[in-house]
Amino acid sequence: MNVTFPPLLALLLFPGGIFLLTSGLIFEYIDRKLIARYQNRIGPRWFQPLADMVKLLAKEEVIPTGTIKALFIALPIVALAAALTAGLSVPLFGFKPVFSYPGDLIVTLYLLSLMTLCIGLAGANTEDRFSIVGATRALTQLFSYEAPFLLALLGPAIALGTWNINEINQGAGQNLWFILSQPIGFLAALIGLMGKLELPPFDAPEAETEIVAGALTEYSGRGFALFKIGRDVELVIGLTLIASFYLGGFSSPLDFLWKTMVLLFITAALQSLFARLRIDQTVGLWWRIGAILVLVQMLMIIVGSSLSPFVGRLFGG
Amino acid sequence: MAEREKSEKFVVPIGPQHPALKEPGHFEFTVDGEVVTNATARLGFVHRGMEKGAESRTWTQDLYLMERVCGICSHVHAMAFVLGVEKLANVQAPPRAQAIRELVAELERIHSHMLWLGVAAHEGGFDTLFMFSWRDRETVMDLLETISGNRVNYSANVLGGVKVDINDRQKDELLRGMDFLEERTQHYLKVVTEDDTFLGRTRNIGVMSFDEATLLGAIGPTGRASGVLRDVRVDSPYAGYPDFPVNIVTATAGDLEARFVVRIKELFESYRLVREIVEKIPPGDLTTKIPRRIPEGETVSRVEAPRGELFYFIKSNGTDKPERVKVRTPSLCNWASVLTTAIGHKLADMPMILAGIDPCFSCNDRMVVLKEPDGQSVWDWEKLRQYGIEYYK
Repeated sequence: MNVTFPPLLALLLFPGGIFLLTSGLIFEYIDRKLIARYQNRIGPRWFQPLADMVKLLAKEEVIPTGTIKALFIALPIVALAAALTAGLSVPLFGFKPVFSYPGDLIVTLYLLSLMTLCIGLAGANTEDRFSIVGATRALTQLFSYEAPFLLALLGPAIALGTWNINEINQGAGQNLWFILSQPIGFLAALIGLMGKLELPPFDAPEAETEIVAGALTEYSGRGFALFKIGRDVELVIGLTLIASFYLGGFSSPLDFLWKTMVLLFITAALQSLFARLRIDQTVGLWWRIGAILVLVQMLMIIVGSSLSPFVGRLFGG
Repeated sequence: MAEREKSEKFVVPIGPQHPALKEPGHFEFTVDGEVVTNATARLGFVHRGMEKGAESRTWTQDLYLMERVCGICSHVHAMAFVLGVEKLANVQAPPRAQAIRELVAELERIHSHMLWLGVAAHEGGFDTLFMFSWRDRETVMDLLETISGNRVNYSANVLGGVKVDINDRQKDELLRGMDFLEERTQHYLKVVTEDDTFLGRTRNIGVMSFDEATLLGAIGPTGRASGVLRDVRVDSPYAGYPDFPVNIVTATAGDLEARFVVRIKELFESYRLVREIVEKIPPGDLTTKIPRRIPEGETVSRVEAPRGELFYFIKSNGTDKPERVKVRTPSLCNWASVLTTAIGHKLADMPMILAGIDPCFSCNDRMVVLKEPDGQSVWDWEKLRQYGIEYYK
């Protein structure tokens, strides 16, 4: 939908800013409720994520000794800011991205990774043993899923010959959906997103039965709230990216709604299906299987689209 | 700086207050990266002085006290105590009472094993199995409630018999409950033996060979998973077990998967026993007379708790109060196996290896040694008592 918003409005209210934060909370609620229903539980009430957020924001923030104070305070803010900034170049809610420029796909992906880097730094900043183990695991996990995830999202970009998210979004709807022509890429992107958000079964960095809350063990109150909402925002942006690339793009808010909800259903099911992977199993899974499969597909796309326009069309070109 | 870091050991503490383990126990794992190089345990956070308390209560009052040693396996504690006291008094409970004792013990084993299945799955991050097994466990909790009126401390035993009977309606409910649970348990057996991610966390993890298990004195399902053929119900049958014998379930692999499989197969054995008892329960009285003062003497009473052999030593001096009651719970025997098998595994495997023996903390804390700050002199009973009086003044 080609609606242009005044910059300030777009930044603070809609589709970025407040609206993005709110939808992050709503997505978190749907995610939690779905998992609860899959597990035969009742699940939270609709305002639970908001209530959590209000409670955490109102709480005192304890800064432990032995940390660099400025870093401790700044990291959650940077993480949330990066997630919100990433939202500006993606077609949120089916509207045209607020700021679109050539190559914004790469910038967005790096902004999304900033969150994990901030969590890793936050863990390494404290003296707490659980935090340090959690930070090590978070960064190890970053190195395992990041490359395949990036390659998976580059698949449609290479097939369409553009690195602009908006153009990919529009182009995705005009061809055969990429989920059919590049199924491996779709799976790698979706599972990579789960790794990025440290959702089960990739929740080794914050495995509560081993290392309490991982890198965020020492965070309480405001800092923790910002990290939490930052992750919710990343969930929305990540699902938006995957849906717009692989499920034929968005042309209206309705399109956005049903496509992201389908993805949320799938991720929630995956979250409740598996036991937690150990960090060495996660790395093994991504590098032994994920990376190779994605590379093979990448090769097929490049060969296919350069051989002939006809074959290229078959692979989504 | 680099040298200092090298020599300093990186110790990850778990507990005493920890979200993974619902009971207080403190563990220290020395890790090299993710690999555990040393493990130590410190217990004793929930010492409640029950053995001492038993000496100032009458035999009947002690029955209630002993039932509260453990919240999960309350019935076997009461049963071990009652069997010991009956042996001292030379009294034999009627056959129907013995059968009901066995029935409740097997129902308790079902609830304990299903609880463990959920907890162990949760330790491995498999919360769906946790939620499902606990939902199904409610069936057996309801059955225990229909029989005794209580979900946890069933209080089925009295000295010389039992105080609950089962009627036809309860028999029907028991049979229906067993059918439902058997169907569900088949599914869980399939999950723990076929689910790839779960097998990744259990197969060849925490392996304890037969020799190690014998050396470390592992008992119960933990030992049986390593091929140790030891089950008090089979070795020296008590209560109703001579009439309704149980088949021993063992495995040879000795890893976590084997511990899962052994416990789940024991569930099937329990379902079979419950059905058999319900169908062939002997008629007759529920209690027999027992003297208030138990004749002088001492005895050992052993029963098979869900976690392994439970051992009671009871000494009577001819009065209405015991002179000494000594309890040795199964978890205590299995700690050594945890600390030994932990070494060489990843930190992420620790919660599951810990949970693999089905630890029960509150029932194995027996003794607290208080030392002066200099670490030399040990407090005696009188000094401790004075300290308590001063503290609460």
